[in-house]
Amino acid sequence: MPRTYEAVYIFDSTLEDAAISDKINRFHGMLDTKEQPEVAHWGRRQLAYSIGPRENGYYVVSKFATEPTTLPEYERALKLDDGVIRYLITLHEHEVGAPPQSEEELAAATRRDDDDDDED
Amino acid sequence: MRRPQKSCPFCESRVRWIDYKDDRTLGRFITDQGKILPSRLSGSCARHQRQLSTAIKRARFLALIPYIRGHQG
Repeated sequence: MPRTYEAVYIFDSTLEDAAISDKINRFHGMLDTKEQPEVAHWGRRQLAYSIGPRENGYYVVSKFATEPTTLPEYERALKLDDGVIRYLITLHEHEVGAPPQSEEELAAATRRDDDDDDED
Repeated sequence: MRRPQKSCPFCESRVRWIDYKDDRTLGRFITDQGKILPSRLSGSCARHQRQLSTAIKRARFLALIPYIRGHQG
């Protein structure tokens, strides 16, 4: 049974954008996904602490559904790639927890969140 | 002595799952040093406190929030 996963990759920020897209396509090609993985590029961000000599990283978040048996090979490729500083693969929470919130609920939550800030 | 009940900020804003990628929210639940804020100070309920600690640890690994604040080198 396929399960939904979410992966966050931190690439070396000195890599070209095209090279990063190529790498992502290669990684996702190893997964046996029926649907195209959802990919969100956060772009270059400063790291909260330096990792080796690096101060910046290129963040990419992707979501995909795949068989768990395809993961070891995919993870090995990530581990061996020098362009990937860090990666994190998690089971996508919404399948374990509750269904995702609707837009209205999220907006209401954000408003209340902002109100809380004033009390600090 | 029982301490006064605080309401859970996550339950109040109807958060169902705390997102480890949301560094702005997580930043409010760590101390000046970068430690996880205990639930007796934040008022989080047990369920959300468990989610929060996992989310903070994931965010730290991804360098979204620091392990230690105000530390150089």
